[in-house]
Amino acid sequence: MKELLTPKKLIIRTVSALIVLMAVMFACSLVGTESISIKEVFSGAGAQESVNPDYEIFVRVRLPRIILACLVGAALACSGVVFQALLQNPLADPYILGISSGAGLGVIIAVISGLDWMLWGRSPIAFFAFAGALGTVWLVWIIGRLTGKFHVTGLLLAGVVVNAFFSAVIMFLTSIAKSQQVHSTIFWLMGNITEEDFLVLWLGTGFVVGGIIALFYISPQLNALSFGEEDARSMGVNIAGTQIAAFAIAAAITAIAVSLSGLIGFVGLLVPHAVRLVFGPDHRQLLPLSGIVGAIFLVIADTLARIIIAPAQLPVGVVTAILGGPFFLVLLVKYSRKVSWLK
Amino acid sequence: MNAIIEVKNLSFGYTPQNMILRDISFEIKAGTFLAIAGPNGAGKSTLLNLLCRALKQKSGTIKIDGALIESYNWEALAGKVAVVRQEFVPVFGFSVIETVLMARTPYFGTFGFENKTDKQMVNEALEATDTAQFSLRPLGSLSGGERQRVFIARALAANSPVLLLDEPTSFLDLKHQVGIYDLLKSTQLEKGKTIVAITHDINLAAQYCDEILLLGANSNYHIGQTKEVFSPEQIEKVFGVRTFVGSLGKENFFVPLGKFAKDSDQITDKHT
Repeated sequence: MKELLTPKKLIIRTVSALIVLMAVMFACSLVGTESISIKEVFSGAGAQESVNPDYEIFVRVRLPRIILACLVGAALACSGVVFQALLQNPLADPYILGISSGAGLGVIIAVISGLDWMLWGRSPIAFFAFAGALGTVWLVWIIGRLTGKFHVTGLLLAGVVVNAFFSAVIMFLTSIAKSQQVHSTIFWLMGNITEEDFLVLWLGTGFVVGGIIALFYISPQLNALSFGEEDARSMGVNIAGTQIAAFAIAAAITAIAVSLSGLIGFVGLLVPHAVRLVFGPDHRQLLPLSGIVGAIFLVIADTLARIIIAPAQLPVGVVTAILGGPFFLVLLVKYSRKVSWLK
Repeated sequence: MNAIIEVKNLSFGYTPQNMILRDISFEIKAGTFLAIAGPNGAGKSTLLNLLCRALKQKSGTIKIDGALIESYNWEALAGKVAVVRQEFVPVFGFSVIETVLMARTPYFGTFGFENKTDKQMVNEALEATDTAQFSLRPLGSLSGGERQRVFIARALAANSPVLLLDEPTSFLDLKHQVGIYDLLKSTQLEKGKTIVAITHDINLAAQYCDEILLLGANSNYHIGQTKEVFSPEQIEKVFGVRTFVGSLGKENFFVPLGKFAKDSDQITDKHT
């Protein structure tokens, strides 16, 4: 039986989830092809002549990767929650409105045009992915608006059509590109968590956490919107304001995630459902918990991606699908029974 | 009593050639139970949507509690007018109490949580609609009648003086139809709410409502006391159907007579 959510319950659950996240991050940072010892790590960087390899691996390789996994997992999961609420569709995920194909198109354009300039020490791929993602969402939004103010079906269809069209363009560009270029594009499309620049990580984390806090602020309105636009309006919700804010924030944090890590599937679809099945649909709780669970899930998935076929690495998207699919089905069967029992 | 809803020269249509409502004016006094009846396509739901600003009129004015409807922001308007629409079950399984609590969204604190007053309003609404017993169950697990009571509870929890309902008893069996109207009537009498309900059931309307707005095609409308408006002639004129009228005490009842109704030729006058 689900009781009403209270601030106390929300704080206890969020803090508990954060503690689990910290534990998972710590445990996963010790796992890998090279075994490292905590003691060595905490003994510091070492003197100039004798580099401490355990510390170097921990700080320069594993920590950035784990922070990025957290950031991307949280962004995708929260964005999934928001798109499912806005579109009132359980099949919605962060990529449903064309972010994936837009980002993909941006990447392949960057790759085949052979751009070799650097912006702030970075290759143009991430910028093109970011611009492609946001540009496409904007395009879908405009087309959706033409069918009505916030016409859910119109928006969804616009998303599907734009996705299909851009995917075709990606296929076309892939067919005319050189094999080396194709390889780097495909690798990117499969999702890949590597980032060494702490400045980028902290900036990304700042934006994503800020976005999630902003989304939490409008979570009661998202609850009302789950009952449809007209109902929400009659409950005193400023529909246009809420929809635009939620849509823009969700699209922006997804674009950040995609530009940093490529396309990682399943997280944005499965995590919101899993959290909803266990804790209920109240967005005031669903958003923060989905963010944390998304982070936990992607940290674990990425760790598995690092170690399953070591020393080689799997694309993390493969792991999220293989790990997430069955886990979600178990949850679905278990909790659907519980819900139907309540009838 | 003052008019809580004042409509003046109201017109609405999606295109100028195809106006749904033309030049409609009426007033509803506070504490009245009014039914909007009329044939399909006459614009009943459109009118209801205009009264809660889900649609914007092309011309004319609507005043709620003395102020133009456009002068309210959404939160303030929700504090004046609560709406119960035709049944909509969200895809995600909100419980009954979560659903009712949403009516208090405009009053939530900075961190999005309800205070004591909100909880009290919700509890009162659950008690009044007899839905407290299943308040923790998911909305999707309820029967149509139970769910309709939950939506009425949500409208009551908004604590607004006006309640608009779009066919609150469609899809319900006789017992539940009467149950919903009993609930609405007691809400009117005990809490002094103004209730405006669209209905296709002229008998329920005749039994429970103080006033009727009979809305016919081409915005031919008639508003007044129930007995004045519901005459066999008016009903035939507006719906295009002859009726047999019977009386029980002071109440009139109408039986629509189709082409194949037995002895329909003989039944032309009012029988008492």
